[in-house]
Amino acid sequence: MNAELTKIKKDAYNNEEYVLVPPVDIYETENDFVVKAEMPGVNKDGVNITLDNNELEIIGKINGNLPDEKNLKYSEFNLYNYHRKFNVADTIDRNALKAGLDNGILTLTLPKKEEVKPKKIEVKVEN
Amino acid sequence: MFTTYDLLDDVADLRNWFDGFFNERPYLGRRADYPYVNLYENNDDIHVAVIAPGVKAEDINLQLINNRLTIDTEKKSDYLDKPYIRKERNFGAFKKVVELPYRVDPNKIEASMKDGILTVKLTRAEETKPKKIEIH
Repeated sequence: MNAELTKIKKDAYNNEEYVLVPPVDIYETENDFVVKAEMPGVNKDGVNITLDNNELEIIGKINGNLPDEKNLKYSEFNLYNYHRKFNVADTIDRNALKAGLDNGILTLTLPKKEEVKPKKIEVKVEN
Repeated sequence: MFTTYDLLDDVADLRNWFDGFFNERPYLGRRADYPYVNLYENNDDIHVAVIAPGVKAEDINLQLINNRLTIDTEKKSDYLDKPYIRKERNFGAFKKVVELPYRVDPNKIEASMKDGILTVKLTRAEETKPKKIEIH
């Protein structure tokens, strides 16, 4: 029964433990794709980002800085570890990924490859 | 490209909808207004934790009126005017009033912001502490 439950969870959440799906914004600039994920309660050491083939996986482990659960008198949220996966295109430069964490917001910069960056085409005027 | 209608497509859609329901689990709290608040109480200390990722400390306006703690702040967009591909986060001004279980000492309030969580520590006011009445 327990194994069955683990399997259901694994299928449902892509994970064996209970995780939160962080809300994510993705935007594009001239040179990069930028991913911003909200992961409150996670510090720098808790973030684990892997790029395997085209699968970008973000894991955030919460730091457990909240007070003891037994003192909880009123609750609107519950923190769990964060997990999210994306498929990324071949057009990003895999060796130049940058990540930063500021006040619970993870910023992931995926630079575009040189060949897909917009290029200005000079127009020559021929007389 | 045109395709013919296939009943199985509808079944597949339904399956995707169900899978999505579990995968895209709504985030943190649900039944409460943003921002989500937890209140901890340990003897005479109250610890209020507020989920506020991306909110700058200088943008937060905290106020104590009687035994009500008001959190008034604005979460500003961090990528204004850029073309977005996916948008799931929310921005804007928010205000929340937290009713504390008793009056607190206004001179002993500590507030700090770390990892996207605002922490406010308060202490029970001396005059509201229970007093033992001696019987002579």
